[in-house]
Amino acid sequence: MKPAIVALLFACALGAQTKSDVPRTADGHPDLSGVWWGGADVGGRPAGGGRGAGAPAGRGGGRGPAPVTFSSLYTDAAKAHAKTLSDKDDPTLTCTPTAFGTLNVSMWDVGAVGQIVQTPKFVIFLAETYHGWQIVPFDGRPHRDTVPPSNRGEAVGKWDGDTFVVDKTNFNDQTWISAEGRVSYHSDALHVIERYRRIDKDTLEIEATVEDPKVLTKPWIVPKQTLKLAPFDQIMPLDCNSSDVKELIDAAAALPKN
Amino acid sequence: MKRIFFALSTLILLAAAAVPAFAHHSFAAAYDMQQPITLHGTIDQVLLRNPHSWFMLDVKNEKGETEKWAFEAGTPSGMIRNGYTPQIIKHGAEVTIKGFRARDASQKRGMLRELTTADGKTFGLFGPQENKQ
Repeated sequence: MKPAIVALLFACALGAQTKSDVPRTADGHPDLSGVWWGGADVGGRPAGGGRGAGAPAGRGGGRGPAPVTFSSLYTDAAKAHAKTLSDKDDPTLTCTPTAFGTLNVSMWDVGAVGQIVQTPKFVIFLAETYHGWQIVPFDGRPHRDTVPPSNRGEAVGKWDGDTFVVDKTNFNDQTWISAEGRVSYHSDALHVIERYRRIDKDTLEIEATVEDPKVLTKPWIVPKQTLKLAPFDQIMPLDCNSSDVKELIDAAAALPKN
Repeated sequence: MKRIFFALSTLILLAAAAVPAFAHHSFAAAYDMQQPITLHGTIDQVLLRNPHSWFMLDVKNEKGETEKWAFEAGTPSGMIRNGYTPQIIKHGAEVTIKGFRARDASQKRGMLRELTTADGKTFGLFGPQENKQ
């Protein structure tokens, strides 16, 4: 048998194996359920394959061109407003979640671990650090106009083949896109579209586009994130107390502005 | 073989310690990375919570008086998934803490970098790593 034919058969077999490796629910959709991380939690090193919490995509490591971030796309007016803000204004210091996610993964919010629970009608995203949740229906219903603007927005989903597409609107303007003092304020026109794809049993790929025409010159294309299935099936309950960091906020307030 | 394993483990740990784990809020504003501090004392309280954990330490000063120190550490999830468990250190446990002093020297406060228990076990990478110095 010619080598090219052998290679083709091997590739086909590999593709078939990967496809069948994806867990599916009774309705045939990929099952996104699981605890997802980058291969390690904050401070740890990836256990293999995943992108560790210490080296997330889209966060500059000092080599190569600076990654495109939400705030790098600010309009001139937004840049001017951003200069009036600093670390002390970071809402996450007071236990307020981000509008998107510190490590460019919205299901993690602040932190490096998140859980998905999938039911026949909803995909439910659970963030660990600040106990955030998002219930995403995928039965074709439109966005609700009966809920107030919120920190994490209101979401609806749909399946595009094997890709779960989430559309989030109705954000308030009280949060930042990310945390750790990176000024990344946004407006109430924030609109987030995410695409989740479980490419095999252990791997989840996420792509996202973030629009905010009131403060951005163009949409932010978030770097693709590749998450790994964590070796545990439950995130942990954690409390948050903002009074613990008063001195930190005070010290940050004394820093010169950007 | 054991020696090689130990040497490799040590190298891996050292490499891990050198990598900023997770840039966090302006710890450099509150803590002076040029002022390392090592204190030995007993644990008064451990607060494993967000946004940051705290280790409260009773330390005897030169006059034999007890001073209360507070050390700010990382997020509990990261600490726990990197080897720490809430049962390891309880009230009264004798520990040595290495970290960095608060810039305000009047405060008995620091950022925790490494904690060693009385039986010699060391837990590192607690401290939220600051990369904006």
